Formats: sequence, C-alpha cells, structure tokens
Amino acid sequence: MPITTTRRRLLAGSVATLALPAFARAQGAVKPRLTAISQWSAGSDGAAITALGKKFEEKGGVWQHSPVPGFTTEMMNKLRAQIMAGDPPACSQLKGPEIAAWSKIAPTVDLDAVVAAAGYEKVVAPDLAKLHKPGGKWIALPLQIYSTNMLFLSKRAMDKAKADKIPVTWAEFNDLAEKMKSGGVAFPIANGGTRPDDGQKFEAALAGISPLAYRAAIMNLEKKALEGPEIKAAFAQVRKIADWMDPNVGAQHFSTNLKRFVDGDMGMMIMGGWAQGVLRNAGFKFEDFTIAPGPSDNSKPVFLLNADAFIFWQRKEPDLQAGQTLMAQLVMDPAIQTMYSQITGSIPVRTDVDLSGEGWSEGQRTTAAALKNAIASNQAVLSMAHNMAQENGMTAAMIDVITEYVKNKTIKPEQAATRLAEAVEGAR
Amino acid sequence: MRDRTFAPRRIWIYLVVSLIAAAWLAPLIVVVLNSLRTNEEIAQGSMIGWPQHLAWSNYAAAWSGFCVAETCAGIRPYMLNSALVTIPATIFSTMLGAIAGYAVSLWRFRGDTWIYGIVTLGLFLPQQMRLLPWTIVLRDIGLINTLAGLVLIHTIQGLSFTTLFCRNYYVAIPHELIRAARIDGAGFFRIFWRIILPLSAPILIVTVIWQFTHIWNEFLYGVTFTTGQQQPVTAALIALSAAVADIPQHGVQSAAVIIAALPTLLIYLLGGKYFVRGLTAGAVK
Repeated sequence: MPITTTRRRLLAGSVATLALPAFARAQGAVKPRLTAISQWSAGSDGAAITALGKKFEEKGGVWQHSPVPGFTTEMMNKLRAQIMAGDPPACSQLKGPEIAAWSKIAPTVDLDAVVAAAGYEKVVAPDLAKLHKPGGKWIALPLQIYSTNMLFLSKRAMDKAKADKIPVTWAEFNDLAEKMKSGGVAFPIANGGTRPDDGQKFEAALAGISPLAYRAAIMNLEKKALEGPEIKAAFAQVRKIADWMDPNVGAQHFSTNLKRFVDGDMGMMIMGGWAQGVLRNAGFKFEDFTIAPGPSDNSKPVFLLNADAFIFWQRKEPDLQAGQTLMAQLVMDPAIQTMYSQITGSIPVRTDVDLSGEGWSEGQRTTAAALKNAIASNQAVLSMAHNMAQENGMTAAMIDVITEYVKNKTIKPEQAATRLAEAVEGAR
Repeated sequence: MRDRTFAPRRIWIYLVVSLIAAAWLAPLIVVVLNSLRTNEEIAQGSMIGWPQHLAWSNYAAAWSGFCVAETCAGIRPYMLNSALVTIPATIFSTMLGAIAGYAVSLWRFRGDTWIYGIVTLGLFLPQQMRLLPWTIVLRDIGLINTLAGLVLIHTIQGLSFTTLFCRNYYVAIPHELIRAARIDGAGFFRIFWRIILPLSAPILIVTVIWQFTHIWNEFLYGVTFTTGQQQPVTAALIALSAAVADIPQHGVQSAAVIIAALPTLLIYLLGGKYFVRGLTAGAVK
C-alpha cells in the first residue's frame, strides 16, 4: 500500500533527523559548529550568507544555517518555537530594539571579550553599538548597514529640468522638483506603496530638517520634541513630496516604477541604498542615475541607519560555543564585511574599511563617506521605518499616522503632528 | 415562447458574469504571462505586458534551478516535502473525520453533541493561537522539525473540518438503515465499512479537496516546525519573493507559483464536480 510506504519513510526520515546531531557530536569533539537562523534564503541575501558559511567552513567549522523564508514575523515564530523547545540556534538574525526585547526571553552570550579583542567598538557608529549591547554587554553583532535616505536622481529627469546640481538642502530639493515638474517630468518623486515607503519619506524629512529633533522625538520619544515645530515642518515637507508622487502606487514594490524613473517620467527617489542593487539587477546602467545623501538643511550628511545583525543565544555544547566565537570573529572581520557588502550592495559596519578598491560601486562609496561624515557631526541616527528606532508596535503606530497623512490630503501638517504624538502615547 | 421572454435577461446575466469572471481571472492571466517573460523584460517594461519572446527558462529555473536555503534545486524538493505532508495528513484526517462524523450523527450516545461541539470548536481558533501549544506538544514527543510532526498537526487540526462535513452529510442518512443493519448483527465498524462508506463518495471527495488544498497551501506551521531542506513548497515560494536588495524575480516567481498550484488544481479538476454538490448535501437538512 502506498500509504504505509509513505508513513514508514516519514518515520525513518524523522528518526534520522533526530539522530543526526548526536552523530555529529560523536564525530569530532571541539570542531566549531554553528546553528543559525535567518530570513536570508534567496537572491543576493542568500548568496551572501552562503558565502559567509563557506568562510566559516574554511576555518574548520560546521555551518548549519536554516533560513526561514519570509518576513520577520515568520522568523520570530521559528525562533520562539526553538527557544521553547529548549534548542535555540547558536545565533540568529535580529535587528534594532528587538535585540533588547528578545534578550529577555532567553539567555544570550556575553561577547564583550571577543569584541574587545577585535577592537571593534571604536569603528562602529555609537548609536548602532548601543543597540547591540542593551544591558551594557555586547550580545549581538551588526553585520551590514544600509542607509534608508539616499537620494537617487534620474539623469533623464535632470536633463528635462536642465539641472545638474545635486540638491543638498530640502529647499534645493523642492526647487529641483518644481523645475522637473515644469520641465515635463510627470512625477518628480518615484515611490512605492509598501509599508515602510511613506515612513521613509517622513524620517528623511525630519532627520534632514533637524537630526536633533529626530533623535529626541523619534528615537527617544520625548513628548516636547514630538510636539515641536520640526515635526510640523517635516509633515509639511512630506505633503510636498506626496503631491509630487504618482498616487497610483497601491501596495507595489518601489521597483515597479524603476523604468519610469530611469526614463525620466519620474525624477527623484528617496530610497535605501539597496535600490542601487535593485537597479543594477534590473539591467539599468549606473550612468542612468546619480546617488547622493538625502537632503540635509545644515548641509552635513544625515544618515538614517538600517543594520542587520546577529544575536547569540547561550548554548552549553562546547562545539557550539567554539562556533559562536568563530562566527563573532568572522562577522567583525573587515575582509568578511567587505565580501558580504559587495554581494548585497550594503556598506560595511566598520567605518575603517577602504572602499576605494575594485568591487565597490560609486553609490556604496558615497554611502560610506556619508556615514563617516554623519558620525563625525553626530548625525547618524536610527531608522524608524525599518524598525531600528523603536520596537515593531511603536513603529507600526507611527507609520499608520504617516501613511494616512500621505494618502489623505485634507489632513493639515499640524493635525498630523498632533496625531503622531497621540499615536506614540497610545502605543507606549 | 419561454426562450424569447428570457433571452434579453439572459444576455444581461451572461454579460455581468463574464465581466466578473474576467476581473477574477485577470491576476491569473498576468501571472501566466509573466511566467513567460524574463526578469529584465518585466523590470525594464511594466508588470503587465505580452512576452516579447517566450522565456520557458523561467519554468526550468523554478522547477530545478534557483537557489533557496543554500542549495540550488528549485522548488522540486520542496514540492516533494509538501506531498509527504499533505497526502498522509489528508488521508488520515479524512478517514478519522468520517468515522467521527459517523459516530456523532448515527450513534447517539451521552454527550455526543458536546463532543461534536468541542471538535468543531477548532474551526474558530486562529492558527497563531495554536502555534505555541503545538510547539510544546511537538517538543515533548520529539517531533519538532520533522515532517511527521506536520502530518500529526494537520491530521488533528483537520478533524474539525472533516468531522463537521461528514457529520452534516451522514445526518441525512435514514436511521432505519442503521437499525436494520444492527438487527442483522452488524457492529459499529461493519456498518461503517459496508453501509456508510459506500454512500460517502461525494462528501469524502469534498473533504479530500478541502484538506489537500489547505494543507498544501499552509505556510505558518510549515515554516515554523521544519528546518532547512524539509520546508514545504510555500516556504520556497516566499523565499523567492522576499529578497531586499534584489529586483523581485517576477518571472521565476510566476512560474514557481503556477507549478506549485498544479497539484491542487489537479485535485479540483478530478473531484470538482462533487465539490459544490457535497458541500450543499448536508445543508438542506
């Protein structure tokens, strides 16, 4: 009967799976081994983590990565299930304030010694470092950085506007958008309709107007800052941006509009640095667009940080502990960060990596330089739209207000500011 | 005469129905067309458009080429995983549901309506709510991260639906039939095998379609309770669509979605004519 065969095969399969770890333990006693879960399973993300695994194996380790495809929720379900089953992965992908939140659920590894040995702390943006040592000790390590507020300019739209100067402040940005509009660019702003998109416009506006206000209002949730004039100014800027966007975006991915952007039917895109990888993978040329830091009214670059990281969960097995140390060393290694970022299009976490060589794009160099300058002027802040500034619930409350404001043009900036402050109070 | 009076209204009905069908089918048509367009063609043009030349390579890549979870074998291995979970779970839950439905509808015993009520209560529990209890159960019986664990979950959770369907169907069977068989000396299982089961084809086809579709399309448990190479096909499909720094792989995605939908489509084609008939069979009572 086919039924019995299937059932028997299933049972045999499950027995084999159960027996496997014990078998591996018996084979080699101290061979470093790493069990990891991440959501990176396909595309360049999958390729990058696979390459990292290869390096881990080259160092004599056993790499056991189980990607959980999908979005963060799925991975968190998996992580929770593993923790409850008493079998947390040796490390797992996690980012932003969720690191602090999740570190209370199960014991994490104290990485202070290995971080100190690598001299890592002084080459990481301070706000970023803070996220990865919630109780004062390093328990997680950032792997790569994207900025969420890079400005992409379409060459053809610039030609239509007869402009060649990259806008630095919001006033210059608005001028250029007007010029594009009158030069025949149908929509001066290219945009998508996925959940973070509108949030990115708002955070770019606020941080560009005043990084101090951004830090106080969005990162620290200070009531006074949330009711301050900068928030209203940011909403006013977002209204301008919204008026220049194609309203028919639905819930589309921003890449749907890349063709119109390159053709000059859309002019500018405020998007994460990852968009250049998307443009490249879509077959567009680097000559078709320019990348610059997002507008900043004090003319010094503002960098909205989005960083992927690994958190390390306590395990008793010596081989897993050895694997965690090896993994931590690899993640902090400039050569590994270079390899990783060159595959995904991000920039390294370390600010001391030289990006002048082969394998880096102009956009990555611009981004890395912007990060360095932003750190120097204390203008590297954490992205709200990409869950770096607040936990998911708070972020969702903020984005709800922003998206409604973008879509509903009868809401005044002052009303939006009040609603944002109320939403923050409600979600606290 | 009858025809003449009804003809204009008919045309109007067909027009409306055709429009609704066209709107309903539009997404499918876009997916089919995109499955034959290269990624670059879609990215450089628009999501909606005719293929410039037929890119059958999308299907090859989807079936056995693209890389998920550090192996480049397409969705083929994940299709097998899904089949290994779906087929046994569908059979077990359908059979158990038929027996349970038969017991609560034709063998009245103390508390039968209560048992029926509790079993069907499972219909109203959201999936997410059951996730942690299942984690504990699978941990304790050692089936976490195994396909057998998923078979168990879907068999037990499927019972709510299959019991409901079968019970509503069996309620319509005349009790005299059972009484006559009992007088002849037949017991619980003999009556089930000899009398009830031969009458059950329509409802069993309904439950098989229902269960097969649901288990095949299930994602949350599939992704939470398996690891690496054991993941079901829904996980592989999501893996294809969730890359950050990549242009969405619309061409390969479309091809993969179509391939992954084929088994459920096949089940519908084979048993579809029974589906509505069986669903409404119990409703009249």
